Amino acid sequence: MTEFNELSRQFQVSDLVEQRADLHFITASKEHAVAVVSALKERYGYTHLVFFTVVDHLEKNEFHLTYMLHNYEKHHDMGVVVKIARENVQMESIHHLWPAAATYQQEMREMYGVEFPGSPGLYENFALEGWEDIPPMRRDFDTKEYSDKTYYPRPGRESHDPREYMKENLYPSEAETW
Amino acid sequence: MSLKDIIAPFSVWKRALEKPYTNRKPIETRPGADRYRGFHQNAIDQCIGCGTCEEICQNNAIDLVPLEGKTSSHGDSGLRPKIDYGRCCWCALCVDICPTGSLGMSNEYIWITTDPEDFRFIPGGETKPWDDRAEGYRRAEGYDLLEAERVEMPMLSFEESQKSFIEMVQGYSKEQAMEEADRCVACGICIATCPAHMDVPAYIEAIRNDDMGEGLKIVYNANPLPASCGRVCSHACEYVCAMKHKGEAISIRWLKRYIIDQIYLGDYKEILKSADESNGKKIAVIGSGPGGLSAAYYLRLLGYEITVFDANEKAGGMLRYGIPEYRLPYEQVEKDVEYIRQLGVTINQDLKIGVDRDFKTLYDEYDAIFFSTGLKDPYGLEIAGEDLPGVQSGLDILDEVTKGKTPDIGKSVVVVGGGNVAMDAARTSRRYGAEVTILYRRREVDMPADEEEIHESQGEGCKLVTQAIPLRVEKGDSTRLKLFFGMAEMVDQGEGQRPKPVLIEGSEEVIECDTVITAIGQEADYSFIPEEIGKNLVFNRGMVQINEFRQTGDSKIFAGGDIANRKRDAISAIADGHSAAKGIDIYLTNFKDK
Ligand code: SF4
Ligand code: SF4
Repeated sequence: MTEFNELSRQFQVSDLVEQRADLHFITASKEHAVAVVSALKERYGYTHLVFFTVVDHLEKNEFHLTYMLHNYEKHHDMGVVVKIARENVQMESIHHLWPAAATYQQEMREMYGVEFPGSPGLYENFALEGWEDIPPMRRDFDTKEYSDKTYYPRPGRESHDPREYMKENLYPSEAETW
Repeated sequence: MSLKDIIAPFSVWKRALEKPYTNRKPIETRPGADRYRGFHQNAIDQCIGCGTCEEICQNNAIDLVPLEGKTSSHGDSGLRPKIDYGRCCWCALCVDICPTGSLGMSNEYIWITTDPEDFRFIPGGETKPWDDRAEGYRRAEGYDLLEAERVEMPMLSFEESQKSFIEMVQGYSKEQAMEEADRCVACGICIATCPAHMDVPAYIEAIRNDDMGEGLKIVYNANPLPASCGRVCSHACEYVCAMKHKGEAISIRWLKRYIIDQIYLGDYKEILKSADESNGKKIAVIGSGPGGLSAAYYLRLLGYEITVFDANEKAGGMLRYGIPEYRLPYEQVEKDVEYIRQLGVTINQDLKIGVDRDFKTLYDEYDAIFFSTGLKDPYGLEIAGEDLPGVQSGLDILDEVTKGKTPDIGKSVVVVGGGNVAMDAARTSRRYGAEVTILYRRREVDMPADEEEIHESQGEGCKLVTQAIPLRVEKGDSTRLKLFFGMAEMVDQGEGQRPKPVLIEGSEEVIECDTVITAIGQEADYSFIPEEIGKNLVFNRGMVQINEFRQTGDSKIFAGGDIANRKRDAISAIADGHSAAKGIDIYLTNFKDK
């Protein structure tokens, strides 16, 4: 890929993956990512920000941010992946390149706790109001524990453990001797 | 008030004669999209009450509750999921994970009622208007939260396996075991079906946590012969595994084996419970098979002094003398036995009760007796020529091989029978180079042998002839023997009865062979019990009657294993030994000291 070769001369980019003929992914370092995205927009015709998202790789202790860009002339998509450590995660904002990016960044801050200093409206509520727990889309957020803590069980609810219930019903006397 | 406020109502009038945008009443209900996630549906007879749906629900919206008309049975807890729509977020994870595929969602999304309690109900258990709707959310093809297929076990090929007695099943590596353990949904339905009620989900979890010590402890809680059981257990648990509804059962037996294989015998002592201080009471155990060893182990833990008496040269009973090494290597039996010995159990070999020592003496010297002497006397075929040289029982052949002798079987063997002993005798004969034919009276589906044994014996080149009834044996011309047999048709015996094989007149055929191995079952020999004691015991169709504590008609004598248990497998004998140990303890502490 010519873009990749040219970019790699100038920036820290690696891992070119051809997902489909019209979809490639490259990985950029945290320091160079915004410059790479901006070069793709200004120089190579990837003028459309299709989406901007993040995945929590808890096992690797990393967040993977993906900028998905589209080139209308070539009908080609390019994903730029940036891997950043999970603690105190911060990333440069790209709202100066695409104003709409601010909304993506606002959502990522709320749902994953990724900070984008300077991004407009970053701390306004996106979907959660009055949320105080850790960001809910982080993989270490325990949904079940949260619902137990937040919502009280309806009175009269009871449940049975299959193994205990079967013991009572199928081998009660053996259970005694055990 | 501004001018706009005053004029506004009049501006509405200018639309008075236009066609309204709204739909006319009554508003037509619009059906949800085909795969809309509406209210739950559950095929109540297909559901097994495993509770996996309850486990995955992140909102605690599901409870497992008894449902009228459903009872607990093997493989079905009898419980059914009840959903609380005050909590459900319609994520459909429960539908995606349900191993039986019974749970789904209709595309109905409108429900009006004035009683909030109505929004808690058992789908499929309480009739709802959407029960029969075909549309709605189902798990998408090709999308699965659970892995349906088990991790393949590395095995010797059939060409390799039939050449030697090397163990065929090679065991999982750590990665394989963890991957297989990961498939378990931990419902615990199998626990009821395991005769020893082992806590299967708990030891599988120990594998997931890579904590073998914990695994060993859990296993020994209910089974002191796990190296053997991890290889040859009849794995009743796997037949009721929730995952079997989806594909293949978890390979529970091999996961157990994996735990045991990771720990050296020398390290057991640090991990497992040590025996209590001796309480001065003595128990005699007759027979060192799984029943006897299990009773010895649990009694020893409770502080009893145990002496085991066994007629064979080595301990292990049928585990050693009835199962060939390619299925259960002797060193594995030894590992199990050795640990029990290390706990301080005395095992006397080559000592036959009734011959070398009186049963009555034991009765007087010991505080209680447990006997688990197994079924040793093979049934005869009851046909002419059975006493000709070359007709042998399967157990005798297996016994000889265990003792290191080469059985005199010649080049061609016919095995009569369809159980594990028949398969083992056949496969052992293959290993000594014989052509083997197995004759069985009924159909293949009726064979009592384990599925794998049937499959493997055929893989190793044994020919299986079903619906064949032996008629007589004669001396052969070029070979040692000629076996005449007739073909049978299966005659229906009415509901609940298994069909009976009936000989088809004139269907006689003959096979020439050097050896006929009979393996159609065996019976117990009680001649070692003297009459004065025997008269207190109750026998029912060749089996000793026992109560739930494995106590016989004589309160001092307990029994278990094949002589007292129709299931006739190692794990049932082990369970008997455990129950007997508890029974003896209750008997000696509650009735003797007072
Ligand atoms: S997961 Fe499926 S089979 Fe198990 S209890 Fe729920 S509905 Fe029934
Ligand atoms: S749809 Fe989701 S929230 Fe509702 S019962 Fe099922 S798992 Fe729970």
